[in-house]
Amino acid sequence: MTKDQPEIANSPSTGFSSAIRHWFSWNIEASEWDIFWASTALKLLLFPSYRSTDFEVHRNWLAITHTLPISKWYFDTTSEWTLDYPPFFAYFEKFLSIFALLVDPKIVDLNNLNYDSWTVVAYQRATVILTELVLGTAVLGFIRGSVEPPVQRIISAALFLHPGFLIVDHIHFQYNGFMFGILLWSILMARNGNKLVSGILFAVLLNFKHIYIYLAPAYFIYLLRSFCLSPAGRIQTKNFLSLANAVIAVFVVSLGPFVLMGQIPQLLSRLFPFTRGLNHAYWAPNFWALLTTVDRVLLRYIKQTGADIPINKFGVSSTSRGLVGDTVFSVLPDLKPIHALVITVAWQSICLIKLWRNPTYKSFVTALTLCGWSSFLFGWHVHEKAVLLVLIPLSLLAAERQAYFRTFVIASVAGIFSLFPLLFTPTESIIEVAYSTLWIAFVYAPLSRRVYEYPKSIAYVIMDVLEKVYLAGFPFLLLFVTLFPGWASRRRQDNGEPDAGYSKLEFLPLMATSVYCSIGLIWGFCRLIFIYHYEETTYQGQLNEIR
Amino acid sequence: MHKRGMKELVVPGVIAVSVLVRLVMGLASYSGWNTPPMFGDYEAQRHWMEITLHLPIRQWYTYDLQYWGLDYPPLTAYVSWLCGLIAHWIEPRWVALNQSRGIETPASKLFMRLTVVILELLVYIPALVMFARVWQGSRSKRTQELALLTILLQPALLLIDHGHFQYNSVMLGLTLFAMNFFATGQDLLGAFCFVLSLGFKQMALYYAPAIGSYLLAKCLYLGPTAGGKLFIRLAMVTSLSFILLFLPFLPPFSPLSTVLHPISRIFPFSRGLFEDKVANFWCASNVVFRWKHWASTYFLLKLSTLLTALGFLPSVVVLLRAGIKLYMASIEDSVQRKEKLSHTPFLPLLPYALLTSSLSFFLFSFQVHEKSILLALMPVTLLLSGAPVDSPVYSWGILVNNVAVFSMWPLLKRDGLAVQYIATLLLWNRVIGYNPVRLPPKSFIQFISMGAYAAAIALHVLEWVITPPARYPDLFSVLNVLISTPVFVVAWLWSIKCGIEVGWALGGLGGERKNASDEKVTVVKGSYRQVGGRAVSLGYAQSRRREADRSRASSVVADAVS
Repeated sequence: MTKDQPEIANSPSTGFSSAIRHWFSWNIEASEWDIFWASTALKLLLFPSYRSTDFEVHRNWLAITHTLPISKWYFDTTSEWTLDYPPFFAYFEKFLSIFALLVDPKIVDLNNLNYDSWTVVAYQRATVILTELVLGTAVLGFIRGSVEPPVQRIISAALFLHPGFLIVDHIHFQYNGFMFGILLWSILMARNGNKLVSGILFAVLLNFKHIYIYLAPAYFIYLLRSFCLSPAGRIQTKNFLSLANAVIAVFVVSLGPFVLMGQIPQLLSRLFPFTRGLNHAYWAPNFWALLTTVDRVLLRYIKQTGADIPINKFGVSSTSRGLVGDTVFSVLPDLKPIHALVITVAWQSICLIKLWRNPTYKSFVTALTLCGWSSFLFGWHVHEKAVLLVLIPLSLLAAERQAYFRTFVIASVAGIFSLFPLLFTPTESIIEVAYSTLWIAFVYAPLSRRVYEYPKSIAYVIMDVLEKVYLAGFPFLLLFVTLFPGWASRRRQDNGEPDAGYSKLEFLPLMATSVYCSIGLIWGFCRLIFIYHYEETTYQGQLNEIR
Repeated sequence: MHKRGMKELVVPGVIAVSVLVRLVMGLASYSGWNTPPMFGDYEAQRHWMEITLHLPIRQWYTYDLQYWGLDYPPLTAYVSWLCGLIAHWIEPRWVALNQSRGIETPASKLFMRLTVVILELLVYIPALVMFARVWQGSRSKRTQELALLTILLQPALLLIDHGHFQYNSVMLGLTLFAMNFFATGQDLLGAFCFVLSLGFKQMALYYAPAIGSYLLAKCLYLGPTAGGKLFIRLAMVTSLSFILLFLPFLPPFSPLSTVLHPISRIFPFSRGLFEDKVANFWCASNVVFRWKHWASTYFLLKLSTLLTALGFLPSVVVLLRAGIKLYMASIEDSVQRKEKLSHTPFLPLLPYALLTSSLSFFLFSFQVHEKSILLALMPVTLLLSGAPVDSPVYSWGILVNNVAVFSMWPLLKRDGLAVQYIATLLLWNRVIGYNPVRLPPKSFIQFISMGAYAAAIALHVLEWVITPPARYPDLFSVLNVLISTPVFVVAWLWSIKCGIEVGWALGGLGGERKNASDEKVTVVKGSYRQVGGRAVSLGYAQSRRREADRSRASSVVADAVS
């Protein structure tokens, strides 16, 4: 909305920013301030919105880190929401608790469970907005020194205003904006050729939230190949040692105290609870969601036809429990975590081999995206929120070419749609849909014209049409998801019997969302892998100019 | 976006963004949330849906008056009935008679919030889009879009309609439609719209002197025959629309006495001079004069009526004078009758007259609510929306808007809208690119702006830091009134000054025209934009006729302004 206001850009509003400009060499433009202030206002207005239990989780962590000595942080069980993020995040909460104490001492009271006065809401929500400035500065950094600033400006704005952050951070409540800010700073450092800092920042990030381990293989290969080895393949001892020492130092700062206290097993058991099932409560839109659906359909088919195929009894009971709890296949062969791991690693290696051969910046970002994507699609017990690990790095590639852009659009639409079920209160649901629609419109309109390419063969035309049909299906899916519960409850009332097969269908909207989105995300993954491996080397995209 | 060839996307985009802001505002609490047994304005509006849906029309204005009895004119009642019908279709419990009192489920709240947004989309926003086209048609597309955004994100209306909960945008939108139709020369349609506005909320009476004298001036301008004809037509349209509005309360549909119910409910003269703390003359001067202590209600009623009339008199005089003067000029000049009908040279006076009239009502009339400042904000925001950043209109418009929001702070605080107060002010001031430090240095407007903002910020800090002494629990509200009222008074005087300036420029047309040689006209045309004749030129929108008219009037207007 702020891109279309050059009148403002010339208006006296630059008075304040010119003062800042003086001692900050940032050179922040009026339109960038506009985006910042407008989005801040919007986030402030979201203060009273719905909060998930994650809000209480983080409040509890403030209390834990404030009241208890460091030795008890990972042992405390006063609340059911125990500390299960790595130590840097705990230190971060400790830092925030200092100011929380000033705002309202009751926030950091360990036994004051489910405290929800407006002071704690305002304080915690404000910290999300403030820490998101890390993201803000990172995306600004991408504009400075970019090959094509106008395009990067759109991508940067799209990242800063990403609906994923609005839904997950500012409504649902988490600190993803802050953490993806660190990730983007790390990628930015890689782009600017400062690979040592890039590696350090990623190590720091891993110690904030260990889910970023999904991306670690790409970092490992990239830094090893392009920083620790010379192009000819000889080892660069100095680089290698400095990187290794720096990363070890980061881990020492983070884990050191716990090593000394001998708490590492306890810490690891909190960070990696391996007792969970294949799918999360609401299926993340990945390969397993699709497979589970196939299993359900097969089961129904077998029950109807009476075909002679062995059925797993646990699996049958698992279906009747809908989507809650563990999933066990009833027809298909059962799956162990190790299988998921092997498949994930296999897909990642395919990309990493290419990265090893071609360790440029653009190749790195693509491999990073694909690494996150394989983990998301084939990982064990993946959360729907992890889709941001795909969408955020992918956004950096959005304007590369028609092929990248189309992948970006499909993945973004499917990925953001798959986040919708996180919010189920009526007003918030409308807001998330309205905001996401606006976001995609404002990103799509300027970029699509820039990257448009004429389809080369009939196969491309068919693919193009099919993809458009898929995207056009989302409004209908939305309609179905919105109207189905009301329709089902009305049918149930009309029939007079409370459980005439409709309660089984209670989870149908969630399942439909998950399956439909997973199709898009799997297709996007295939597209990107294909593009990554077969793209001609002579191609001139903006990022190709950065080695 | 203009550069990238997406012009057609801008207006829908602006509207979509502002709708999003409205939806997000809707998350906030509303007046009377969780405060049984009476709740607040939200419950009143919801209750009206309930009674209009379930009761026969003759009981609408008489049913259980103690619990939020209907006291708005019939159009509000009809709209409530329609909303109630839809609510009943979706979920009967939201509007069940008597059973639904104080219902606060998330879904019912969403429904209520959406009715405001949808009615605004149906009435106010189309009126604004039309305003940008009709009144600012000669301006660049970009200016029009920025004007639209400026008006759409106006914080006071956002906070009251979508936070506190009311339907002011419908009343304002209908009045705005009236203004638009006056600008296109469809006076009868305009009059009909204004009657609808009055029929939605009696508060639109604040505009009545300006609208009435504008139409009268138009009749005078047209001369005895054409003007007389228009006058009779206007009278007929107005009275017929009123009859139409009250039709269900009139024979043969109900006994004649029924119509007295709504009327006695709409005008409650039995209440006092003012109730809450409101930033008008009476409440502010009460600190010194203690009106209620020594003066009878009847005396005060008369006094306030007198002062109000004196307050809007200048605008009436200026409009009528312009009408007569221009009629005289047109006789000499034999302007085509047809052109006169569709195009009124003194149209630019209308926004100033509306501002003067609504501010005089706000400052001096009886039983004013703090929310009534919204009526004065509409004309001033319309004026500022098209003004260049260095013009006085721009600075005044923003000052009045910001101080108006500040004057409603006690109410907003009570409603739990503190965060929204900050966020909307921040958003709007940023979007329109306002920077009070950059106002014309050492000008009166800079002096008063800086003073008002400094005082407002100081008061907020004080209120945050210390609790008021037990003897003066209303200390901060009174201080708020004492800060806001002077600004409104000065704004009222300023609006009179502008009205007289513009009117003088137009009225002087007759005498000066013959001397205005072609040479002079071309010279002035060049400097037209820079002299800030922009807001004044609001009426010269019809691009077809732009050339002749503008050169004629702008020469004089530009002289007057510079």
